[in-house]
Amino acid sequence: MVDAIHRILFDAMGSRCEIRLAAPDGDSAQQLMHRAVDEVRRIEHKYSRYRADSVVSRINAAAGSKAVAVDSETADLFGYAAALYGASGGLFDITSGVLRKAWDFRQPRVPPAAVLEPLLALVGWHNVECGVFEVYLRKAGMEIDFGGFGKEYAADRAATLLAQAGVRHGYVNLGGDMRFIGPRMDGRPWAIGIQDPREPDGVLATINVSEGALATSGDYERFFELDGQRYCHILDPRDGMPVRYWRSVSVLAPVAVAAGSCSTITMLKQRDGLDFLNASDMAYLAVNGEGQMLYRDLI
Amino acid sequence: MTINKESGMAASILSAALMLPGVQAHAEAPPTNGVISVGYLDYRDSQSGLDRIKVHAPSVSIMAPVAGVWSVSGSLVKDDVSGASPRYHTAVSGASHMDDDRKAGDVALTRYLDRGSVTVGAAYSTEHDYVSRALSLQGSYESEDRNRTWTAGIGHSDDKIDPVNQIVTNERKRTTNFLLGVTQVLTANDVAQLTLGYDNGSGYFSDPYKAFDNRPRTRYETTLLARWNHHVAATDGTTRLTYRYYRDSFGVRGHTLGAEYVQPLSDGWTLTPEVRLYTQSAASFYYDPVYDSKLGAPFPPGYNGTGYMSADQRLSGFGAVTLGLKASKQIDKLWSVDAKVSAYQQRGSWRLFHQGSPGLDALRAQTIQIAVNRQW
Repeated sequence: MVDAIHRILFDAMGSRCEIRLAAPDGDSAQQLMHRAVDEVRRIEHKYSRYRADSVVSRINAAAGSKAVAVDSETADLFGYAAALYGASGGLFDITSGVLRKAWDFRQPRVPPAAVLEPLLALVGWHNVECGVFEVYLRKAGMEIDFGGFGKEYAADRAATLLAQAGVRHGYVNLGGDMRFIGPRMDGRPWAIGIQDPREPDGVLATINVSEGALATSGDYERFFELDGQRYCHILDPRDGMPVRYWRSVSVLAPVAVAAGSCSTITMLKQRDGLDFLNASDMAYLAVNGEGQMLYRDLI
Repeated sequence: MTINKESGMAASILSAALMLPGVQAHAEAPPTNGVISVGYLDYRDSQSGLDRIKVHAPSVSIMAPVAGVWSVSGSLVKDDVSGASPRYHTAVSGASHMDDDRKAGDVALTRYLDRGSVTVGAAYSTEHDYVSRALSLQGSYESEDRNRTWTAGIGHSDDKIDPVNQIVTNERKRTTNFLLGVTQVLTANDVAQLTLGYDNGSGYFSDPYKAFDNRPRTRYETTLLARWNHHVAATDGTTRLTYRYYRDSFGVRGHTLGAEYVQPLSDGWTLTPEVRLYTQSAASFYYDPVYDSKLGAPFPPGYNGTGYMSADQRLSGFGAVTLGLKASKQIDKLWSVDAKVSAYQQRGSWRLFHQGSPGLDALRAQTIQIAVNRQW
């Protein structure tokens, strides 16, 4: 009958995921956690670009030929993508995923211009027509994906669902994109380690978080090094080249979608990212190319 | 770009994020979060051609958080028991009627610490001929990575027995128990637990309502419990397997194998089928319900007025099977209901390892439990 913290680990969206929450007994904890996991999997199935039957795959398959009907949730996600494109000065573009075709991070090879240019021609949010009920990609070969904020959206949805079910203590962690429901049972914050971008097992800092969200983008998830230069998976949609300047950017925001988007935009803005972070109201911890830590409002 | 323009951009991202369906910055939280649960249990068991005991038990339980780091819980249950005591083994042959009222309550106070918790509990239970009081202290401690939890506990109970037939008066039974357990997260989908329990009891263990029931005045019990919970990714369900070994100084050895499968379904439904298999050997002083060839019923074979003996069928060798099904539904964020039906059958011939009591009639029981829970 006494609340205790329960925990579930699972794999979803290509990441290790974890939910911790306080519940009166194991049964109700399982029930709550499974509802949250179900919600994460629902979003994964609906929007995964690896599933031929997902909304995203159907929109991409119809690029250049016809508009695809979408439901209101999908239309809202396109609305958010439009806001990100505008707020990032065109750097956060959900059509830029097609550039991945030029980059195979398992082999240290920079793609030649002849490979990048035809793909760059397919990048461009202005070629996405999204209405209230349908979406149309104007050019054949264009692709959109929600990989840039899908995990964060799922973390927010799962956490909101749990909070509405009465959970007051716990968090949802989808591969490092974390949304907090409330502090530990004794009221103290959770101590969350920030991954060291150059040491896979190292922790750079520990941040105390009770509510809101924490998301990190970095140059260390997928990359190769060639002639002393690191080439990471975050690609500038203007030239198709990996961004440089930051090793990692962690942002604390009221919701995970906003935290993840702001950390990714900072990576994409490279040197100008610091102005963007400082102008935002959000707490952050960023590590630049020299390994220097810059932070605000963390302690 | 100017600072102001950048500031507007981050703010516009946040406001756009909050427009997404199902994404809220803060849930509307009630200031406290407790649970109140009202339940009802209906138990009936039978031997062939005879309805034995029926129990109706409404219960109320309540849990309230206190000042963040403390929580208090308590429950009250009032059983109505009516029916015939087991055939063959009662002092009065045939179906003697019993009517009893049990009132029970317990309260526990938990203090949450940095990496563990301490719980102090007290329980009180009374029937008109039996009063039981118990105190317990339990602590848990988590490893730094929180993948391992150690649990240790100590408890003491003091029972007072005053049977209406006055075969004994003011008898006592005192038991001290110790518990040591470890829970280990093995993989993302597997958790295992091992618990060792030891009970040291002294006093009146006999059943005052059974003829020629004379049991030792000390009883040492050892229990080893192993659990393994596995999450099945393919179905999103969870299997819970348990094995329990029991031995005591009466000579009873028991093995329990249990399996449960929890399947979450859509719309807040969860279905949990369960099966439990049990087998035990008889106590060394148990005698089958056959009677002395000279003295006849109800005297046990070789009866000479001394020595330990009991014909309590709970001390006989038998096997038992329990089948159960639990359905629960989360109705909305505050209300949930659950219902469980289970059927139990016990037969001497189902024992697996030891001498049994094949002549004993099978015992069957059905239990229906319903509970409505509300958070507040």
